[in-house]
Amino acid sequence: MSLLPRPWWVFLCFCLFAPCIAHAAPYLDELIGRSRELRLSEQREWHRLMHYTSNLVTPGVHGLADSRRFYLAPDGKTDPRSELEATLAAFFSDVQETDKEQNPQCTFIARFRWLDGQLGFDPARLKKQTCKRFNEWRETLNPQGLTLVFPAASLNNPSSMYGHTLLRVDAKDQNEKTRLLAYAINYAANTNETNGIAFAINGLFGGYPGTFSMMPYYLKVREYSDMENRDVWEYELNLSPGEIDVVLMHVWELGPIYFDYYFFDENCSYYLLELLEVARPDLDLTSEFKWWAIPSDTVREVVKKGLVRKTVYRPSNATVIRYRLELMSPNERALVNPLARGRASTADAAFTDLRAESQARVLEVSYDYLNYLRASKSPVEHPDELARNLLLERSRVGASSDDPPVPVPAVRHDQGHGTSKFAVGGGRRDGLNFVELHGRPTYHDLMDPEQGYVRGAQTEFFDLVVRDYSGGVGARVEDFTPLRIVSVAPRNEFFDPLSWNISVGWSRRRLADGSEPLVFNVNGGPGLAWTVPDTLRSNALVYAFLDSTLQASTRLENNYALGIGPGIGALIDLTGRWRAEPYVRAQWFFAGDTDTAWTAGLRQRYTLDREWALRFDISHEHQEKQSWNTVLLSLHHYF
Amino acid sequence: MKKILIAVVISALPAFAFAQQNNIGTCGWGAKLFDGQSGVVPQVLAVTTNGTSGNQTFAITTGTSGCTQDGVVKSSWKTAMFIDGNKDRLARDMSIGNGETLDSLAHLIGVREEDRASFGRTMQANVSVIFPSGSTTDDSVVALKQVLRSDRELAQYATSI
Repeated sequence: MSLLPRPWWVFLCFCLFAPCIAHAAPYLDELIGRSRELRLSEQREWHRLMHYTSNLVTPGVHGLADSRRFYLAPDGKTDPRSELEATLAAFFSDVQETDKEQNPQCTFIARFRWLDGQLGFDPARLKKQTCKRFNEWRETLNPQGLTLVFPAASLNNPSSMYGHTLLRVDAKDQNEKTRLLAYAINYAANTNETNGIAFAINGLFGGYPGTFSMMPYYLKVREYSDMENRDVWEYELNLSPGEIDVVLMHVWELGPIYFDYYFFDENCSYYLLELLEVARPDLDLTSEFKWWAIPSDTVREVVKKGLVRKTVYRPSNATVIRYRLELMSPNERALVNPLARGRASTADAAFTDLRAESQARVLEVSYDYLNYLRASKSPVEHPDELARNLLLERSRVGASSDDPPVPVPAVRHDQGHGTSKFAVGGGRRDGLNFVELHGRPTYHDLMDPEQGYVRGAQTEFFDLVVRDYSGGVGARVEDFTPLRIVSVAPRNEFFDPLSWNISVGWSRRRLADGSEPLVFNVNGGPGLAWTVPDTLRSNALVYAFLDSTLQASTRLENNYALGIGPGIGALIDLTGRWRAEPYVRAQWFFAGDTDTAWTAGLRQRYTLDREWALRFDISHEHQEKQSWNTVLLSLHHYF
Repeated sequence: MKKILIAVVISALPAFAFAQQNNIGTCGWGAKLFDGQSGVVPQVLAVTTNGTSGNQTFAITTGTSGCTQDGVVKSSWKTAMFIDGNKDRLARDMSIGNGETLDSLAHLIGVREEDRASFGRTMQANVSVIFPSGSTTDDSVVALKQVLRSDRELAQYATSI
């Protein structure tokens, strides 16, 4: 058999992996020849396994993995064929498996399985390795199914503004009651950065290596439910045993590999989709997410492609406490705080007079609440001793509280409105009519329909408003806000979170001469919020912020303005579809271009269906001793 | 009376005896405990308590690392690891006599369906023994084993911890 033309480095790899080159070369040639005939390197399976993606401009592909170890050929990151041939050469290695080293057949076990399936390796001429470590690992996992796990967004954790997704390997001998024992496969930026801003910037530009890791699911549940108080949705996938095996083999391959982690596109959710595509190569999940991959959108895609068999809701510790507090009688509820903080005793008559079921309920909720306080770092004296006493008391109560479980929300995180929005509207401002176009690629504002989103959490990126005015003013950008985050978190006798908001962008400011330049604006501050009149369960949320503003523009006196002032308002759900928000905001610009500016208004939204909503906003604004009214009616479409 | 007896037995039980019985002295950092230092499992799990890290311990295909092998918990460590990772929830479920965390522990040590009710009752009665005040995970693992051992029906499960 004649030697096929092969680049020199195939021999180099080959020499590294296979001292027995003389015997193997003819068979390797044969395999390479067949792989070329079958055009294996052009097949979708190969591209999926190697994480090749099409170049944006030039023809050809590039691999997304960023560790050198993943591509065996020096040009393997961009040349699928040369990579495939280098891989075949590597399979002839006779490296013995140790605790720190594996044979390439085991290191790249998913590639081996696929190529073996395509080429039918002859065991007499290519010795098959046993891959003991992989087999033991797989045996421990004992897989029966895979579940996509989706913890809700958490505004106070910059890496989780949109939520996060991970994959769970469900073992054969587990059931719904013992899922804690499953393993989670997590893809995350590998960093110990605690500075939120540094984290955000590095995350945007791929500054961290993203790696896959595995851990018992109970550690993730503790993290989400108990430490971060995020509700979790679990989506059981309907993959076949063969497909599950491919995912696990591929995860094994990716163990030591890193990818540059990008917040927006190449993030946790994106790579989980890639894993599923490896399992089912016909599936196209990732092409929707060229620019950004928001976890809830990736989950929607998985649901849309029919991959989900069943969903399970796992409420967080705080959600359970809130629900059980609502179920309590006033007498029971009044005991929770004092007991959890050690200001009352179970010997008090108020407690001993309760029926046994009531005592059980009070003790359980008090203990959970104490754990919540500990997780949120609230000061409690001797928390361990307190916790232990509550448990001992509980263990002495034979009765059960028999509280029903937290009801499953009617709308899941993947079933809310679409995360992109486009709106058209028309109105009148200061005597001039206008039409308005409004676009926002992601994600949710407080006046959008709330179902499926975290209450009080607003995250918007690249919000743009353009208006065309009558009366000779013409078209102009009214407002461009690349970043706006608002967290309105209600306080009551049990929970005392701070609210906060920040926005960065450009908006119009009226000057003394009546002109309205576009001014750069950073605005934000802390706040407090309450539901009224009942602090536990009302539909009206009242908030008060103390905001500061920095404006910058060459059109301003001294080129800047610095201001401070309150923003107060209320979010009132008049019906399930109809929300109103009266508000007043004032800013005293005391430095730079001084002025007293204030706005009072009423925003209203009526939800038409999941994808459409109507808005009607009226406001009165006052700047530079001038004032005017604005009325705007707009139709919002979510997609 | 039984509880007091158990407590006496536990306090008298030298840590190394437990280690030998369970053959876990070979587990990486584990050696530290048996040199007379305390808190083997907390050391192993320290990486996981702040939530997001732990990549070192649970990296896949890195071979043996402490109590994990290629990212999964070694079988000799799984009960200790579970108790350490679920202390608050487990203690809570024990005090109630049932719950997801207790179910998972029962499954982990192989408690059969017909013994589940008695397992739950025994755990509820002994929550103070298994989680004595100021206890470490090591104390709890040893105590759990003793509690099971001194119960006629449940003694069979003590060996799988």
